[in-house]
This record gives sequence, structure tokens and C-alpha cells, in this order.
Amino acid sequence: MEPIIQVHELRKSFKDMEAVKGIHFDVAQGEIFGFLGPNGAGKSTTINMICTMLAPTSGSVTINGYDAFKQKAKVRESIGIIFQENTLDEKLSALENLKLHCRFYRVPKNKRAERIQEVLEIVDLVDNQKKKVEEFSGGMKRRLEIARGLLHYPKVLFLDEPTVGLDPQTRAHIWEYILRLKEKENITIFLTTHYLDEAEISHRIAIMDKGTIIALDTPDRLKQQVGGDVIELGTEDNDAVAAQLQSAMPEAEVKQEADILRIQVPSSDQFISTFLQQIRVPITSLNIRRPTLNDVFLSYTGRDIKAGPA
Amino acid sequence: MEGIFAIWQRDLMKFVRDRPRLLGSFAMPILFLIIFGGGFSGTMENLVMNQTSEIEDFNYLTFIFPGIVAMTLLMTSIFSSLSVIQDKEFGYMKEILVSPVSRVNIAIGKMLGASTVAFMQGVLMFILIPVLGVTYEWSNILAVLPIMFLLSCTLASLGLLIASLLRSTQGFQLIVQVLVFPMVFLSGALFPVTNMPAWMDILVKVNPVTYGVDAMKKVMTGAGDLPVAAQNALGLNLQLFGRTVTVAEELLFLIIFTSILITLATISFRRANA
Repeated sequence: MEPIIQVHELRKSFKDMEAVKGIHFDVAQGEIFGFLGPNGAGKSTTINMICTMLAPTSGSVTINGYDAFKQKAKVRESIGIIFQENTLDEKLSALENLKLHCRFYRVPKNKRAERIQEVLEIVDLVDNQKKKVEEFSGGMKRRLEIARGLLHYPKVLFLDEPTVGLDPQTRAHIWEYILRLKEKENITIFLTTHYLDEAEISHRIAIMDKGTIIALDTPDRLKQQVGGDVIELGTEDNDAVAAQLQSAMPEAEVKQEADILRIQVPSSDQFISTFLQQIRVPITSLNIRRPTLNDVFLSYTGRDIKAGPA
Repeated sequence: MEGIFAIWQRDLMKFVRDRPRLLGSFAMPILFLIIFGGGFSGTMENLVMNQTSEIEDFNYLTFIFPGIVAMTLLMTSIFSSLSVIQDKEFGYMKEILVSPVSRVNIAIGKMLGASTVAFMQGVLMFILIPVLGVTYEWSNILAVLPIMFLLSCTLASLGLLIASLLRSTQGFQLIVQVLVFPMVFLSGALFPVTNMPAWMDILVKVNPVTYGVDAMKKVMTGAGDLPVAAQNALGLNLQLFGRTVTVAEELLFLIIFTSILITLATISFRRANA
């Protein structure tokens, strides 16, 4: 099947800097596509171009078979966007917000009432539909935005940090809704998030840094590429231990963080059996685990996803 | 088309629900009515009566009232366009901009929203007619309504263009302050602007309010049927390139003003995508 999103040689330059440097990727129909990168990596610029909101310097984007720069109206009909910030009219009721959306997207008149109730059910807001949005909690607003984004049955749903600023419980709920929806409608989801555990649900993940895509694969394979185990070791003299480690186990990758050493090794067994015994410095903490997406991110970009541009 | 209608309806809905705004926008016109209608009317009436014997019983209030209504239209249309900036600040503009509604329909919908609100305010001013003790022919009142709506459209387009270029309401307030009052004073709404110095005369002639006010006064007071000498004395002999303009021409000017401003606002919306 033809990919639902095709991005080809996409470039965008602002006055004195090149924000997106000729990127290339496809997203398959029904896929959950995670799009990660540190702040300033060119993520937002890329998404704005894909969503017809920004003209590229060169390159092409095709969504649902339409050219994102020549057939903007067609592309806009094919996508739903949930922005990071609130874009609801808080002075109006939930129902009124949804009705307006139907009209902007020319949802057939005889289907509107039915679809509105359908999306309200998906996000559990049926009982609150007459309330003004300003009376809603943060989580309810988010859910309403998601409901609204689905109203015109988009082929692709863009979720830009859909759970930012929400408490963990609400975050979990929002994801339940999104996945329920995915099951029901088989829509394609294009996701950006700072919460890497959330990105785990993606079928594939692209990592963007400094205007280029530096990695693109399934979360599992990305983690395999990092390989081995991650050991987080805290001692009373990290510098000394790091130096000792470099000479004893040259294959280990050592990174000094605030008060721990993050050590990446092919296998933790050897590390425990041989190296730990040699250390004379008292150990304050020890944690051994499989690599996470954050380790992937760290090994590709050299910095934590929460940190600002280096 | 449906996009225009939806955007228009949203602005109306919000206006009707916002009572303080409804009342607040009456304050200024009523203040001007008291100052110009009450304070100046004796002086103005003497001035006019001395100039011509054609007018027997001149009531300055009758003459100034359409001007005050025009002023209400000006203020309300421009302030209502502020909703564009509020939509930007509160994020709703993004919802509109990512939708398939064409940019020109967004501009027209927003313009119609602001002008309808202004028009309704203007019509509401008519409840003051019996209080002020002035009289107009019913047919004239009906005839002035389309002119009022057209003038509101022109001014709302102007407000929209300014609002589309700005990001914060603060900037808008400032521009409006330096724009709205000159536009009122240099329009003939409150006093005749027929004998102005040349440079001021140019400002009067490029001010769309001038044509709206002139047309409204002529139609509403029935002054278009008065002898020429009387019209001159009332300052209703607005001239352009050496000839007196007709009401029909004035309406045409307003339509042209509106088209130009809407085109510019559309371009500005297209540019301000991100």
C-alpha cells in the first residue's frame, strides 16, 4: 500500500540558519509514528510544513495522496491536529466547539449530531457536553481537543505533546483513549512527545537532531543498537572510578552525570564479577537495567531529551 | 460558504453573551451626544440659521445624531476586530487556520462578524431617538440601515487588517487610539468639515467614515432633498475633484474601500500561517 505520508528531501531555511536539512521518510497507513528530538532540532518546523502551515524552502510532502503545498485544502481535510497548547474556545460549550469544527470541515449535515456523540463517547465527555470549556479540567480539555480532532475522520492524527502538563493518571487515560481510537478507526498517528515511555507505543520512531533524521527504526531495534546493559553507579569518588574503568574495561562507554556514572556495557555479568570487586572507593548506589529509549536518545544526540539545545 | 457562516455566527454568539461589552460600548457615543448635542447645539443652530434663510426650524441634534451613530459603528467595528487578536492569544485562531476554510473566507467571516456586531449596536442607538426629541421619517430610517451595514463592513475590514498584522492586544489599543479619534473628528460626524485647510482636507477625503457619515446624514435627515444653499450650510456639500459626490457614489467608494482592505487582510492571513 502507498504510504500515507511521504516526505521527500524536505528543507527549510530561515534567514541565517538551515532548520531542516533535506529529510526523507515515509509513514505507513495505520502506523503510530513517533517523532522525537531535543528542543531546537527542527521538529516543529518539520511538523508545521507537513501540516501545510509553513512553506518549505524545497522538497515535497504528500499526505493521503495530496501535495501538502499545492492541495492545502485537501490535505487539511485529511488530517487532524492536536496542538500542544489549548486551541478550544473556552467561552463556548464543548458541544458548540464540536459543532463549529464540523462546519469548518464540512462534515455532512445529517451525520454531525451522530458523530459528535460518537467522539464524545470515545473520550468520555458525553455528560459534560453542555458545559462551558472554561469549567473543564486540564485533562478534560485535552480529551475534548482529541475528540474534536477526530470529528472529520482524519486519515492522520498529529499529536504534538498530547499529554504535556498533565498528571500521570490523566496521561494514562489519554493514552487509553488514543489507543482505543486507533483500534476502532485504524487511523495513522504522528506523535511527538517528551515522555519517552509514551513513545514506546510507536511502531517506529524517528529521532531528529540538528535538522536531520539521525535514526529511524522500531523502538526495539533502536534499543538493540544501543546494546547490552546500562549500569548506573554512584560512588564517593566518581572521577577515580571512571578512570579506573576506562583502563580495565575499554569496551565500556562511560558518561559522567550529576552524581552518577552511566556505564554502557555489552553484558553486565562480567562487569559485576570482575570490575566491581576491584573498586576500592565505597559505592553509594548501583542500578543495572536494560537500555530505554532515553538511552537511545542519549547515545544518538549526546544529551537528555529534557535538556535544552546543547 | 459554510466556513464564513460558522465564523460569523461564533462572533455573534460571543457578543450576545457578553453583556458588559454591550453596555460599555454605549458610554462614549452618549457622552458625545451630551457634549455636542447638548452643549454645542445652541451655538451651531445660530451659526447655521445665520448663514441661510432656507431653513426655518433647524435642530442641530437631528443633524448630529446620524454622525453619532456612525461613530458608534466606527468604534464597535474596530474594537470587534480585536477578536482576531484574542483568537490568536487564546489559540483558537490555530483551529481556524489549520481547517480547510479558505483564507479569504476566514477574512470575510471575521469581517462580517465584527460588522454585524457594530450594525446591531448602531441600530440599538435608535432607541435614543424619542429620548432626544428628534424625529425622522420611518422610510428614511429604513433606508439608512443598508448604508450603516456597508459602513460597518468597511470599518471592520480596516480593523481586521490592523488586527491581522498584530500579535498583542496592547499594540492594537494604541493604534486604535491614534486612528479612531482622528477618523471621527475628520469625518464630519460631529461638525462640518467643508472648510478645512488643504492638508486636512486630504485626510478628510481619504477617510472612509466621511463618505459613510455624509450618506447617512443625507438619507436619514432627508437633507438630500433640501435646497443646495441649505445643504451647503449644513456641510453636506462634500466635494471630490471639484464636484459634489452623490450618495450612490459614496456607497461605491465604501464598497471599493472594503474590497481593498479585505484583500489585504486575506494576504496577511495567508502570510501569518505559522
